[in-house]
Amino acid sequence: MLSLFPSNDYLLIAVILGMPLLGAFVNGVWGKQLGKDAVRVMALTAVGLSFAASVAAFVALSQLADQQKGEHVKLVWNAWEWMNTNGGAGGVTVPIDVKFSIDALSGVMMLIVTGVGFLIHLYATSYMADDEGFARFFAYLNLFIFSMLVLLLGDNLPILFVGWEGVGLCSYLLIGFWYEHAPNAAAGKKAFIANRVGDFGLICGMFLLVHYTGALDWNGIANGASSLLHTGEQARVHVWPLGGGQYTGVLSFLQPKSPVTISAATAVGLALLLGCTGKSAQIPLYVWLPDAMAGPTPVSALIHAATMVTAGIYLICRLSFVFVLSPFVMVLIACVGAATALFAATIALVQNDIKKVLAYSTVSQLGFMFLGVGVGAFTAGFFHVFTHAFFKACLFLGAGSVIHAMHARIHDGDPSQDLRNMGGLRRWMPLTHWTFAGATAAIIGLPLTSGFFSKDEILYRAFVNRTVNPAAAALQGRVYAPPAWIGTALYATAVAAAVLTAFYMCRLYFLTFWGEFRGWTVGRPSLLSKHEVAAHDDHGHGEHHEDLSTPGHPPHESPWQMTVPLIILATFSVFAGWLNPGFGLSRQPMEHWLEPVFKEATEGAVVYAGGHDAAWAEHMTLPLALGGIGAFLVGTLLAWWMYVSQSGAPAKRAAEAQPALHRLLLDKWRIDELYDATVIAAVDSLAETAAAFDRAIVDGILARLTALVVAASGTVLRAFQSGVVHVYAAMMVVGLAATGWFFAVPHANATVVDSGNNDYLVTAAPGVGYAYRWDADSDGKPEKSDFGADSTLKLHLEPGRSQTVHLEVKNSFGLIRSKSIHVARPEEPTSSL
Amino acid sequence: MNIALALSPLLVVALGALLLMLAEAFSPRQGGLALGAATVLFVGAAVAGGVWMYGIERLPEAASLAPWLLLDRFGLFFDMLLCLGGGLAALLAGGYLVEHGIERGEFYVLILFATLGAMILASSGDAVTLFLGLETMSLGAYAMTAFRRASPRAAEGALKYFLLGSFAAAILIYGFALLYGATGHTDLAGIGATAATARTPLLVVGAVLVIVGVAFKVSAVPFHAWTPDAYEGAPTPATTFMAVAVKAGAFALLLRVLLIALGDASWTSWAAGWPPVVATLAVLTMTVANLIAGRQESVKRMLAYSSIAHAGYALVGVTALMRDPTQAGASVLFYLLSYTVSTAGAFGALILCGSHGREAVSYEDLSGLGRRHPAAALAFSLFLLSLAGIPPTAGFFGKWFVFKAAIDGGLYWLAILGFVNSVIGAYYYLRVMVYMYMREPAAGAPVALPMRSGYVTAALLVSALFVLALGLVPTRAIEVAVRAATLGAG
Repeated sequence: MLSLFPSNDYLLIAVILGMPLLGAFVNGVWGKQLGKDAVRVMALTAVGLSFAASVAAFVALSQLADQQKGEHVKLVWNAWEWMNTNGGAGGVTVPIDVKFSIDALSGVMMLIVTGVGFLIHLYATSYMADDEGFARFFAYLNLFIFSMLVLLLGDNLPILFVGWEGVGLCSYLLIGFWYEHAPNAAAGKKAFIANRVGDFGLICGMFLLVHYTGALDWNGIANGASSLLHTGEQARVHVWPLGGGQYTGVLSFLQPKSPVTISAATAVGLALLLGCTGKSAQIPLYVWLPDAMAGPTPVSALIHAATMVTAGIYLICRLSFVFVLSPFVMVLIACVGAATALFAATIALVQNDIKKVLAYSTVSQLGFMFLGVGVGAFTAGFFHVFTHAFFKACLFLGAGSVIHAMHARIHDGDPSQDLRNMGGLRRWMPLTHWTFAGATAAIIGLPLTSGFFSKDEILYRAFVNRTVNPAAAALQGRVYAPPAWIGTALYATAVAAAVLTAFYMCRLYFLTFWGEFRGWTVGRPSLLSKHEVAAHDDHGHGEHHEDLSTPGHPPHESPWQMTVPLIILATFSVFAGWLNPGFGLSRQPMEHWLEPVFKEATEGAVVYAGGHDAAWAEHMTLPLALGGIGAFLVGTLLAWWMYVSQSGAPAKRAAEAQPALHRLLLDKWRIDELYDATVIAAVDSLAETAAAFDRAIVDGILARLTALVVAASGTVLRAFQSGVVHVYAAMMVVGLAATGWFFAVPHANATVVDSGNNDYLVTAAPGVGYAYRWDADSDGKPEKSDFGADSTLKLHLEPGRSQTVHLEVKNSFGLIRSKSIHVARPEEPTSSL
Repeated sequence: MNIALALSPLLVVALGALLLMLAEAFSPRQGGLALGAATVLFVGAAVAGGVWMYGIERLPEAASLAPWLLLDRFGLFFDMLLCLGGGLAALLAGGYLVEHGIERGEFYVLILFATLGAMILASSGDAVTLFLGLETMSLGAYAMTAFRRASPRAAEGALKYFLLGSFAAAILIYGFALLYGATGHTDLAGIGATAATARTPLLVVGAVLVIVGVAFKVSAVPFHAWTPDAYEGAPTPATTFMAVAVKAGAFALLLRVLLIALGDASWTSWAAGWPPVVATLAVLTMTVANLIAGRQESVKRMLAYSSIAHAGYALVGVTALMRDPTQAGASVLFYLLSYTVSTAGAFGALILCGSHGREAVSYEDLSGLGRRHPAAALAFSLFLLSLAGIPPTAGFFGKWFVFKAAIDGGLYWLAILGFVNSVIGAYYYLRVMVYMYMREPAAGAPVALPMRSGYVTAALLVSALFVLALGLVPTRAIEVAVRAATLGAG
């Protein structure tokens, strides 16, 4: 039994997509009237049903895959035709359909989004229980699930883009969910703007793709991808001078000796990469993600850790067959990923806000994924997306549970998230502690946990893989070859990042759950006074007394709606690695599952470094794994020594020994300040100039003038709308008279067409009842004395000669109008150009 | 029998109107007539749809009514469109008239007969039937405008409408009389066939008068002056009917006249034919209506000007008929469809926002509505966005196709002017949303109190469904429009 639906019209997709949309609609429109219980039921049912349908679709897909072994199978639902555009070399019509498909890649992502999404919804029903915007929150969250599914299941770039913008919008709305608090709103705006920069790249990529390949759907792009690589000029994009123009005159100094061009594949790759760095928070556009933690914690878990931020990696995997055509872009992806992984990890070392640490950790882990896909190990990179979804969601939800316990109020205040105020929480929150420990073990790469397998595979592939241009032979050497040392450098960077990961995550874990609770006295007294802890159940509506004489109630475990998701996610975090354990083991379900998706891309484009063969690569498995295991051991032990056995003293000493460096790390390398000083300052000054111009010229003169004209004309026009019927009738008469005048007067007009053979056809414009009289040589004596129906005149002109034709037109009223038409034939061109 | 099948949309509405009149006369209690009228009209639309799907070409007997009635796909399209618009107006009336205490049965009968007139108008291929349909439609509209008898504004608006309408009707029929004199034909196809050879000034004068007469009916500037007064004075469902059904009927007339009677190359010449005249009307209509609409303080009057402006956008598509009658005609038909559902929805939302004695009139009345009544505000916003032409609504694709037709016809400047105008239009549409969502009513100021009516809700749901469906899935509808616009002369 395959399924209820045929694979080429798989209507179940409508349910998968429709349920969250319905939930968002109902909760968004009637949420307040329905009450919290109904909102909760609606939101959970919507995502739950979507998840159930996803599982059914996934089972059907796997059965189909079993039937057609090795084929890239898809479940397709073509909802409707949307519109058409033109593209490609021949200007073919490119249909853009509202079409969705599930294949191995989007199927796995779909399960993550709906499954993890459901758990996070469940968690949020408790976490957000006392928030005023409960219905609004779930409407946004359901809308996010819908948009994310559109992004994943869309079968062409425009549909993906709709989802891409949709998740961006939901992200913006949810970051600024508590918009009354100014920094939250600012963080939302920052995310929105950084994403817009990326979206610009995605749009450019889309235009380039439709221009070169003549398609926007995945199959069409795959078929037309070969036209992105071509020796001919048509497949090269002129970067300088832009668009292949030429600078002349005063600008001629800008003209290079030979124009700078890149292949269309590289141009497309770079544009798409910009989009991916925006959405997936990579250098240089990562700055929005840490600030995005201003949103409620379930949002951080769902959108800014598990799902949306991996959309960039998903897009690279989805269009892997385009990216591999440009080894330069591939190397760039890998370098961006490795650099981001290391860079973000350094910042995470010293942050004190529990969510900030996790945010930088997310940026760093996304860097690992970029590194994986950048070296052509799409399965490895994607597998890290998969495992990361579990352990990072678990970590964020665990952090939320901690904050929930720490902070009696639901609103995330800073001191309640400060690691320096925590400690020893494992005593009070055993479930949160153990699940957090499991997820931490996964992210730091404790052998045999999921994170170990997925990260190790990336490190291994970074060393042994090498991307080459699949069309190198056809391009006759005009190809980019990455340097030989790149694999080693990437591997070393990634190992260093892994060491730091192990260190900062263990630091976070130890500071939160081990040692003594430091929250009795630290921080502002009002935030952790006993009244607030006591008033936990009504979430801080009580009075804040500054009474520190008694310690008050300790933090406590969260309710089951929050712990059950933690347990499930932690279980996956620990064990999901066996889906793709690597190390040359025979059972690699994930790799096997995804193989048809990436087969086309990797064939011929991904080889072993240094010309080695598969045996060498297999031989390197264990030595290279030592790097990952070593990183885990070093980082963990260092953190243990610093924060458990020495209770944080070495960390303090290190900070005091290198105050400048510590400060710099704490300030996140001052990248925000750098952007403030450069990009934002430049934009600001541009804006200032524009604003000054706007004030002086546009507002001062143009706007006032326009407003005056509009207001005046509006007033004048309204004066005609006097309510007096004769004025109205008079207006009609004027209109009638004008129309009548136009028709009563003949219009002498003619078009001249070169009919070849030195002949010209002068054609008078037609009109009702018109008669024509021609005077070909304008000697005042028309050829025929009478007006006739002959509306064309043929002229024979030798090169260099010209002639003036006189046309007279008489209409049925007997009125005559005339016009002289000058016809000139240019000299024959002397050169062949 | 086949003739009856071909005529069935008209017959359904005509019989329904008669039955409803009887029911109104003999029924002891009022009420329920709105449902009856809406049912008749929606059944009419459905029957027209059924004939469309069956294929009017398979009913050769239908041609025997030509040229008096041209039973073709063009006519069927307008049957569906007019029945939809009339049905929505009837539903709105069911809520509005009861709420405001002016519920009387004849209103629904008037709607039915006026719709029937518009359907005859849309199908007529001869000056005689054309005039018959036109007057049936117009008389119903005059009476509906004056329906609120106690209100001086209604009487004033209706009288102006009637006076100027008679004036325009006189112009129109005089034009046809002259055309008959010039060509010896009263049927449009006959007029069109002899236009190329006729050398008499009567032809030109007649055509000018006909064009002006039709321009009055579509309320193109400067023949629009009656519109704001009549629209504002009339009860809102009557306004809706005039804005959607009467205007659509007038456009059907315009398209038939321009394509059949004045479709000759000498008439469609850019130098001396009707295209420059229609283009001028389009530009004037869009610009003047938008400029005045932006200065209105009454939302209803703003919507009245908005409906004038929309006639201007549709005229942009009409101008493009000179190059590609099928595509441009289809764009106009699609525009009318999107305009019908958006405008009916917008007026319906305005009705919904008010209740007895607390009708929503000015922008201030709507302040803070988004907070007080989110559903009503959301519905209003949807239709305003569609009128402004913002995706993913019907209005976006309506403008898209019309401007595309203009660009394909080489009329870049016309498309640009249309685009500039839609930007101006967005200003006053979005202004309503600003008031609804971003303003709070001044303390003590009167605020609109939304009414509760199943009829109005139903009308809004139907309109919203169409607005979204056309905005998301335009291809089906444009295919239908293309088939409808493929006019066989005769």
